[in-house]
Amino acid sequence: MEESDRLLRNETYGLFVASGRAPSATAVAMALGSDVDEVVDGWQRLHDAHALVLDAGTHQLRMLNPFSAVPTAYRVQAADRWWYANCAWDAFGICAALDVDGRIESSCPDCAMPLAVTVTNQQPDDLDLLFHCLVPARQWWDNIAFT
Amino acid sequence: MNLFRSEDHITRWLGDRTPGATIAVQKLSQLAHHWWSDRLDENWQPHTREHNQGLLDHLELTGAFWRLA
Repeated sequence: MEESDRLLRNETYGLFVASGRAPSATAVAMALGSDVDEVVDGWQRLHDAHALVLDAGTHQLRMLNPFSAVPTAYRVQAADRWWYANCAWDAFGICAALDVDGRIESSCPDCAMPLAVTVTNQQPDDLDLLFHCLVPARQWWDNIAFT
Repeated sequence: MNLFRSEDHITRWLGDRTPGATIAVQKLSQLAHHWWSDRLDENWQPHTREHNQGLLDHLELTGAFWRLA
């Protein structure tokens, strides 16, 4: 990854974690003393490198993995804020990325009953829960939003 | 990539679809820690396929389903 893209990635993630919401290209450009076109082009390179995910239609931030920039079925309370995760794996990943304990809330996709799990020192408090991954690993990036 | 209450719930949710892989939530937490804990590091670089395959292998997530390519 080029140094300029590394700085762009760090600034984008930094603004997201600081505010809890995805920054606009304008905000990132202002923070870097850059211009919007450079940010958008850089985001596309980072998207192509699987370093973040852009919305296919709007080219705005969709995922700063493991964080989601849009509401999802997985909410995580960690570091004094609520976050959205892209999936169950990423929900635990938010605690890992922030290096904090947390609480994950969702619902069972089958019966819609609420699910909640507290993660302390990487240990979930409900060991009866199961994780199901539908898509084989080799296909995860074919359609990352579905995965 | 979802959490379920039990195997029965997974089976019902799948219906006619081909099952993927099911792992315990504790292993998921371990996997997430290995996969994501460096994500906010200033010098983070995209993981290579070999690196990520190594993480899966380390947690005994092996077999065709868990092969990245």
